[in-house]
Amino acid sequence: MSWLSSFIPSFFNPIGAALFALLIPIIIFYFLKLRRTRVEISSLALWQQVINDQRVNAPFQKFKRNFLLFLQLLLLCLVALAAMQPYWKGNAEQLTYLPILIDVSASMGSVDQEGDTRLDLAKAEILQIVDGLLPDQKLTLIAVGASARRLTEFTDNKQVLKNALAKLKVQDVPSNVVDGLRLAQALSRTQEIKTVRFYSDGNLPTKPNPATGKLMAEVDFDLPFSVDFFQIDSPGNNIGITALNARRATPEAWDVFLRVEGAGSGSTESKVILKANGELVGDEQIVLGPGEAQRIIFKVDAQSAQYLEATLEPVGHDALQVDNQTWLNLPKGRDVDVFCPGELTTFRHALEALEGVDVFPLTDGSENAVDYDLLISDKSGDLGKPAGVSVFIGVVPEDLKTLVRIEDESAEVVDWQRDAQILQHVQLKDVVISELPIKNEGVEDIHIEELGYKILAHGNRGPLILSQRDGIRIKYYLLFHTDRSTLPYRVGFPVLVANIMTEAMQRASLTELRAPSTGVLPAMELAKEKTYRVTLPDGKHERRSTNEKGLLKGISATMAGEYEIRDGGELVTKVGVGLLNATETRLETVETITFNELSVEAERERLLTDKPLWTWFAAFAFVILLVEWWYFQKKPTGIPD
Amino acid sequence: MNNMSIAASQFTTLLPNDVLARSERMRLNPMRRRTNRMRGEHMSGKGGTSIEFSDYREYVAGDDIRYVDWNIFSRLNQPYLKLYAHEEEMHVAILLDSSASMEFEGKFDLARQVAASLGVMGLMNVERVSVYTCGQGRGRMPFLKPCSGRSSLKRFFQFLEQTEVGGSIPIEESIEQVLKQHSGKGIAIVISDFLTFGDVSRGFNLLHGAGLEIYGVQVLGPTELNPELAGDMRFVDAESNATLDVSSVGELLGLYHQHRQALEDYLGSQCRKRSGRFIATSSEIPLKELLFDRLLRNGWIR
Repeated sequence: MSWLSSFIPSFFNPIGAALFALLIPIIIFYFLKLRRTRVEISSLALWQQVINDQRVNAPFQKFKRNFLLFLQLLLLCLVALAAMQPYWKGNAEQLTYLPILIDVSASMGSVDQEGDTRLDLAKAEILQIVDGLLPDQKLTLIAVGASARRLTEFTDNKQVLKNALAKLKVQDVPSNVVDGLRLAQALSRTQEIKTVRFYSDGNLPTKPNPATGKLMAEVDFDLPFSVDFFQIDSPGNNIGITALNARRATPEAWDVFLRVEGAGSGSTESKVILKANGELVGDEQIVLGPGEAQRIIFKVDAQSAQYLEATLEPVGHDALQVDNQTWLNLPKGRDVDVFCPGELTTFRHALEALEGVDVFPLTDGSENAVDYDLLISDKSGDLGKPAGVSVFIGVVPEDLKTLVRIEDESAEVVDWQRDAQILQHVQLKDVVISELPIKNEGVEDIHIEELGYKILAHGNRGPLILSQRDGIRIKYYLLFHTDRSTLPYRVGFPVLVANIMTEAMQRASLTELRAPSTGVLPAMELAKEKTYRVTLPDGKHERRSTNEKGLLKGISATMAGEYEIRDGGELVTKVGVGLLNATETRLETVETITFNELSVEAERERLLTDKPLWTWFAAFAFVILLVEWWYFQKKPTGIPD
Repeated sequence: MNNMSIAASQFTTLLPNDVLARSERMRLNPMRRRTNRMRGEHMSGKGGTSIEFSDYREYVAGDDIRYVDWNIFSRLNQPYLKLYAHEEEMHVAILLDSSASMEFEGKFDLARQVAASLGVMGLMNVERVSVYTCGQGRGRMPFLKPCSGRSSLKRFFQFLEQTEVGGSIPIEESIEQVLKQHSGKGIAIVISDFLTFGDVSRGFNLLHGAGLEIYGVQVLGPTELNPELAGDMRFVDAESNATLDVSSVGELLGLYHQHRQALEDYLGSQCRKRSGRFIATSSEIPLKELLFDRLLRNGWIR
């Protein structure tokens, strides 16, 4: 009889059945009210015939006579049933607190042939859950873009949930599911959360499964709850720009690299157009097979600053529009200005061998008055000199002198960060150093790091090389003097100098540039402590101030497009950000999200939520009320016109 | 103008003067012509002793040879009877239902007016007019003896004006009582609502058998013709005080109309079967319209 039980609704509020007790007074009142109106008529002759005839012809007359009572009883039954809040039990587990994570990354904005975005489809499914919400259930909606954002508190207010859903928009950023899960985890500390529901297209950062070779999304997160992953199907073809880089080919020209990728579901075709300061640099027609990518190179003049705009004009259906445009600011090409005192002959010697480098002070002693791109000095007096990249040799910063002392003993390099930019391909092993930086008594690495330093190379008793960020500038400290080591005589030394030069050129935007992507606008160095007006791509404005170092940073850029920085109406600079995310552009989806220790499969079957029926009962009761009113008011039947 | 002056200027309270005057000029138009022992102004279809020539017909054995036209016989050598129109008086018996059921919605008032008007037509044409008030009680019922001529007008109106409503004797029973008192052929004008549990066919048969042509006038009130009732009711019979509980009256109105129409059709057919006439009317109909339009157009009067 289990099939029978599936047809019997459950009741959330069975106590509402008490309303059935009202049936008794209604019946009593009905019969009390049934005192007939006395009407004197001339003769009963006709009415007696009518009654006799009616008894013969209308076997259901007794029923008809009490039809109003029947309607009233039916109305009360329906109201009582509605008050009992019946519902069809779905296959979803009934949960009291349910966080719903909604992926709002760029790929969720991809449209299908009908023009619906995947976020629209997800919203439609979530609306069903909201409509089927039972009184003891509470939802919270969490939008997961580049970061997680809680849209509502735990609430059973359907209007609040629907409003929040209606306001939800796609962000032109890759998704960060971990952030959303962390937020849900934080909520689970105050509410008992057994399950988190995650609506996504499955377009998550992936890597190939070492066993199967298939792409898998690996999320480094320990789940304190179970995750139901509901996947929204992929909409189809897409083509988009996934990278726009520029590299200085010569002092007079930039090589601009444009990477265009297509979705894995089918072939795509598009026209690629590159403009510099509004002037056409070049265009190209490309056809990509499923999942293919193509790199296109353009030459751009470096004699003046250039504002590049790369645009795709796809042929046929293109699911994602946001990845069809990106921008890049190219500064005017120039030589790198380096300050290096004449005493550091080894460095000067290495620098002068490099092309496009002006080393100061010149032989006549003159210095460049403006900022240096690179400062290499062994004088503590130069610590205050502004430079994009500063390298101090044998100088201990003031704030470190309480933590580290230098003694005349030999030191050796124990370990170093081989992936640090200036130490790439630099072999420090077996370098003999006759100065020994020693951490003072009780000083740990953490104390040094707390002061903003990062240890790049460890000696046997203390740090040897440190880095420190200062806004968009960076300083490196070699706590030993290179002249008192064998480093200048090693192959690694010119490599070290070249690495330093590369970083200086990169920071001066002179060697390699990458188009900014959505998320946060790149930091900009402007006037100190000044307020600027930032115009967003959707036309909205924000007022932002630079800090005491003149840095304007932390501007959220969740929309692809051009951001204008204005000072009192005058355009200061313009920065364009594009999506530039291959995962989002390819619209690749995974059916499994691998968490630490367990994997979550995408649910193919749509969830059947509990369906409340009280609205139907209430609506039916209203109809019965109307019928009763009509029956009570209607003109008696059979009267000839 | 006050009511006193109107009453003073009117010959009777039953009929306005103009209706009375017009009624005096009109006469009843029976379907058949009947003879009576006594002569009157009414033309009889059957030959009679009169000076007004009517027709010739062939002589048949047994005919009174006094009526043979000897001039024709001498010319044609065939005996022909010379026929004369016979003017003789006709009985007009007015059976006015004055049972309690007629009290409703001006039914009795209209019935009295119709009786008065038709009676005036009879009196002014020297018919023998008699009035029987039916339904008031068993035994000898109040009635106006046959009278004729303008001299009887006052008595006639006086009788009608004094007639009151009350009683519960059904009309078919009253007809039988009338026939115990009435003699003479002519017209029986039965004015009633005919709302009876019994069957009028026997009474009509007796009237027909007594040589009276039946003029049936059914007067019903507006609520009887078109009741606007709904809900559960307890109907009380005005005559017998009997009660009848009816639920969902509104639902039964259709059936009621069917039965009312069936009664009307039945009464009409019963009258016509006996060479009579029948008309059903609402008590709200203006008297002039009833008399000088409907009755005139239906050939009741001329």
